[in-house]
Amino acid sequence: MSTAQATKNCITLKGSAQIIVEYLKYGINSILFQRGIYPAENFDNTQQYGLTILMSKDPKIMSFLQNVLTQTEEWLSKNMINKISMVITNAHTKEVLECWDFKMQAEAGDGVEAGDPSKQTSSKQLSRIQNEIRDVMRQISATVSYLPLLDCICTFDVMIHTLQNTEIPAQWNETGAVFIQNAQAVQLRSFSTGLQKVDTVVNYKMSS
Amino acid sequence: MDEIRSSLDNIMARFNDSITHSAPKKLVFDRLSMSFNDDSVVTVPKKRRINDNDSLNGSLNTSLNASNTSLSNSFNDPAGPWQTRKLRAELIETKAVVAQLQDQLAQQAKDQMAAVAHAEAKADALKEQCDYTSAKLLDLEKQLQVARKREHSARQEINRAQAEIEEQKLKFESALTQAAQEKLQLEDDAREVQHCISNELSEYKRMSERLELQLDANKNELNRIRRRHDEYKANSASYDKLQMDYELQQQSLDTANARIKELEFEIQSYNDWKEVTKTSQARLLSVPELQAEVDRLRTHNKHLNTLIGDKLLLEEKVHDYKTRLDREEGARAEAAALQVKLTHVEQELKEWIKVAQDHCLANTLVSPLALRTRIEQLLQDDIVRVAEKGSADAESKKTQAALLELQQQCAVYLKNIEDMNVVLKRHKSFRERLQRKLLIVCKERDFYKQLLENFDKDMTMTNASTAEMTNDMQVRYRVEVLERTLTGYKEMCSTLEREMQTMRQQESLNEPPVNDNGYDGVKRELDTLRLENDRLRRRKDELELELEHRCLRGDFNMGNYKVLHMSENPASEAYEATKNVVEKLQAEIVRLKHRNKKLEDESEQTQTGGGGGGGLTMNFKEVNQLRAELESANGRLKKMKECFKAASKEFRDVCYMLLGYRIDRVGSNSHYRISSMYAESPDDYLSISVNESNCLALLESPYSQTLKPAIDQQLAANNSFPAFFAALTLELFQRATVTIT
Repeated sequence: MSTAQATKNCITLKGSAQIIVEYLKYGINSILFQRGIYPAENFDNTQQYGLTILMSKDPKIMSFLQNVLTQTEEWLSKNMINKISMVITNAHTKEVLECWDFKMQAEAGDGVEAGDPSKQTSSKQLSRIQNEIRDVMRQISATVSYLPLLDCICTFDVMIHTLQNTEIPAQWNETGAVFIQNAQAVQLRSFSTGLQKVDTVVNYKMSS
Repeated sequence: MDEIRSSLDNIMARFNDSITHSAPKKLVFDRLSMSFNDDSVVTVPKKRRINDNDSLNGSLNTSLNASNTSLSNSFNDPAGPWQTRKLRAELIETKAVVAQLQDQLAQQAKDQMAAVAHAEAKADALKEQCDYTSAKLLDLEKQLQVARKREHSARQEINRAQAEIEEQKLKFESALTQAAQEKLQLEDDAREVQHCISNELSEYKRMSERLELQLDANKNELNRIRRRHDEYKANSASYDKLQMDYELQQQSLDTANARIKELEFEIQSYNDWKEVTKTSQARLLSVPELQAEVDRLRTHNKHLNTLIGDKLLLEEKVHDYKTRLDREEGARAEAAALQVKLTHVEQELKEWIKVAQDHCLANTLVSPLALRTRIEQLLQDDIVRVAEKGSADAESKKTQAALLELQQQCAVYLKNIEDMNVVLKRHKSFRERLQRKLLIVCKERDFYKQLLENFDKDMTMTNASTAEMTNDMQVRYRVEVLERTLTGYKEMCSTLEREMQTMRQQESLNEPPVNDNGYDGVKRELDTLRLENDRLRRRKDELELELEHRCLRGDFNMGNYKVLHMSENPASEAYEATKNVVEKLQAEIVRLKHRNKKLEDESEQTQTGGGGGGGLTMNFKEVNQLRAELESANGRLKKMKECFKAASKEFRDVCYMLLGYRIDRVGSNSHYRISSMYAESPDDYLSISVNESNCLALLESPYSQTLKPAIDQQLAANNSFPAFFAALTLELFQRATVTIT
């Protein structure tokens, strides 16, 4: 993102992927904190997007997210991802309680990188994108007010919906899509980098 | 005291004087007052005054009378008016003088009263003072007596103290003389001691001289010894050196010995070697022979080796041939089998060819390819047919389902028709009822109309007939009433007509579908509507399913994507952890169950002995109960002990008093100390021990030594302890009584 901006003040697909991955990092950490999946003392304050976001200090979670997000960035920069799901499950019964979907949609940019017509660029201001992301983050924080209370020991997983022809890297494996019985879906705001649009949807199990 | 008394006497005298002086004054005063009103009779001053006044008045009256008389006299007098006037003025003047004098008199009386009161008060005060002073005087006299007594006692004490002092003086003087004597004695002693000391001193001096001599001798000796010591030191140094040398020599000796031993060993080994060399020499001598033999043996060996090699070669060849033979035989059998198979196959082939010829087209070449194509064609046909059959089955099923559905619908419709028919019947009956009602209402209306007309007729008739004015009012009133009823009836009529109309309208509304033609149309419409409804319902179900699907999947076209996740994710870790925890807990549960069972078994075992019970709580109860029992038992034991102690003490006391002996047990072994009541001292006791054969034995003690004759007489002779003790008691008692008397 920074390199793309520094040189041409335009965003390439790689930069777009970086922005989205950064959003995912903060978003997932924020959800982990807001939904109380891990105890609050395992989190640290960080300033990002003009907001205070709590990031997990747990080395296991940090390394897991690091691994997942680097792979995600790679796929995103090739537009191979349909959506990314963060699934919250009951640790005992393995029942899926919540599913946060981050749907990716490719968009046509308004510029073309020199010499390669297939590489499009976007001239959207970074500050505008970050403002949009901030609004989404605010909404994520606000979801606590209506999402059902998670009163059991919960855990989470990140599932990536990629194209069928994607090669499965080491330490990754294929799994099935998750279903929530009696689900309710709420769509939050979207943001766009000019090349990719990200919709954030939370699916949760109705309490009764 | 005397002074005080004299002063007091003076005061009293003065007081009395004042009293005595005041009396004449009073007298004087009286006299004065007496002198003041000379002629009045004096009993009480006040009265007197009134009397005075009376007298004055009287005098006045008299004077007035006199004046009057004088006046009258003056009138009579020839003296004239001037004189009378003058007399009058004089009279007035005298009157004023009289009043003035009277005032003065009153003033003086007042003064006198005040003076008397003052004097009385003064007298009272003086009396009080006199009392006070007399009391004080008495007190002082008492004090004086006390002081005198004290003085007397003090004098006695002084006398006593002087006597004591003299006594002490005597004592001290005697002590002084004694001390002087002692001093003299001490001086004598000191002199003696001085003599002794001087004697001793001279002796010591002599001894010291002797010792000095000895010291000199010792010193000389010491020097000598020192010299000798030095010599010895030198000797010891040389001795050390010698010892060192000796040790060195010893060491060298040891090494030499070792060397000698080594050498001996070498010598022995050399001898051995010698023998060995001898034998080897002997052997060496026989070497050529041996070599010859070796050569011979070698050649022999070679020969044998070649023989063995040949034999091995032959064996190998034989084995080879054997295997070849086996293989050959197997091949031959196989070949036979193959030939048999071949013939079989040829026959089969012929059959196949025949089959092919049968199945292939006549003009085409008979070949497996053709047959295959034929078979494939057949299979394809078969597949097509199967597919057709499946579709047909599906269709038939569908049609059956549709049929069932239609039948159900048909049943539903029939039911509906029946319902409708019932409704229709009900409507018809309802219509009939309404029509009947309508008829009734119409009749009623007609009747009311008739009634109205009748009333109208009545009215006209009454108007015509009743011309007279007497009944006019009555009639009018009646008319009004009737008119009112009439309007009421009219209203009723109109409402009924309206109702009728509405009824008719309703009938007209109900009427049209009742005809048969309309019913069919409605039925058709109903059917179509029902079909539409079903269709829409199905569509709705489909849409709901789709919606649910969408909700569950979260998106469409999920088949185009695959879901990936990291194999090491927090969820799987958490599942593993929970699984482990659950397993651990289950293992723990099993373990605890075992433990529980074991404990239960144990408790059952323990309880079977104690008659069983309600488990742990029962045990606790029992324990508590037992504890309480134990406590009560302990308390009882304590009480018993105290009781026994008291009883034993009493018993012992009684025994002591009755028999005169106290028996104490000494120590743990059966020793007894027996002390008599009449013993001269507490140390006078006898020791007795009981041995294993329950026999008493008197032990020897300082006291028993003194009773030797009694012991000899009673114990040794009679062997009776009671007799001995009785004799002893008697003796001691007599001794005690003798000493007392």
